[in-house]
Amino acid sequence: MTQETQSAITPEVKAMIGVAGDVVESWGVVDAEYLRRFTQAVMDPDPRYWDEEFAKSTPYGEIITPPIMVSYMASRNPPNAEDPITKAFEEDPMSDGIGRVERLGSLPRVPTDLVRVLNAGNELEIYQYPSIGDKIFFQNRYSDIRERVGRDGKPFLIVTTETTYRNQKEEVLCITRASSIRR
Amino acid sequence: MTVALEDLLKMSAAEIWAHNERLTAEQLRNKEQTYYDDIEEGMELPKYIYRPTPTHLFRWSAAIENFHRIHYDLDFGLNHDKNPSILVHGSWKQSVVPQYLKDWTLPKGWPWKARFEHRAMLVPGDVLIMWGKVTNKYEKGGMGFIDLDIGMMTQDSVESMPGSATVVLPIRGGADIPYPFVPPAD
Repeated sequence: MTQETQSAITPEVKAMIGVAGDVVESWGVVDAEYLRRFTQAVMDPDPRYWDEEFAKSTPYGEIITPPIMVSYMASRNPPNAEDPITKAFEEDPMSDGIGRVERLGSLPRVPTDLVRVLNAGNELEIYQYPSIGDKIFFQNRYSDIRERVGRDGKPFLIVTTETTYRNQKEEVLCITRASSIRR
Repeated sequence: MTVALEDLLKMSAAEIWAHNERLTAEQLRNKEQTYYDDIEEGMELPKYIYRPTPTHLFRWSAAIENFHRIHYDLDFGLNHDKNPSILVHGSWKQSVVPQYLKDWTLPKGWPWKARFEHRAMLVPGDVLIMWGKVTNKYEKGGMGFIDLDIGMMTQDSVESMPGSATVVLPIRGGADIPYPFVPPAD
């Protein structure tokens, strides 16, 4: 007797496509100190990031910052917020260090029993370099959810979350898409 | 002229490192424009070589405030997550991509978009080769579009980040690439 494999993409899962979170204002502004640490850590010595006179002579006319740096700045913990590391280890002494802290702008959970999460890939679209002093606003959205069938014959989901980053003038700086496999 | 990826992968780790073409601040300041007209399908981009150490990983974790222990706590990585060592961050690899495309398109081109997968665990001691190869070129809206295959290969020929990208280069004697970038309408 064969057992029919149930689809993982139920109407409830499908209904999540297009669901968007709130527009969230990142804490602080794009600043030179974060820029210095970021560019040193990614090992990019470009003077467009630190030489103001030279930067004025470029097509950008000012110091620029790496396009997706703002995606990491968006997860900075505000100084008045609860300490997520302490909380993670209080909940679980063997915490992996990031815990289960819900971040601002998080999307509602995709209603599936497939709980194992694997990184499936990333996409970047770049339109403008953030400027020093910019306020960053971002919004998450489930842009796509697809079903695939694994080699074991079991269905799994590929969930794509799109995040759009804008500055205080509502100009799009970059769009990132992160796809995860739910098995 | 850059060494072909195929030839680089036949070399020892030390020899690969000797072919690192990451640009210095002065080279980035004085970089001459690569024009659309000069690009041919199959052309390889310069190779950026990295040899991440635990300290590089720690610096990245601190810079972006990523506290995931798999990147800096060797005991946790080995015994809890059963990883082979501490792991190079996907976020670091992801951030090298726009840098690599920016550097190649400077001073007036644009690193428009990229997509890639994370396929292998990278650890300190690996020698990593960021590479790119032209797969297609076309003109649109007075701009030169270049499609690329990209990736980050280990010295053992393991492709850890297969992907593709599209960048925009000026056409010799043509218009400037708009900034902020506005892609031409289809």
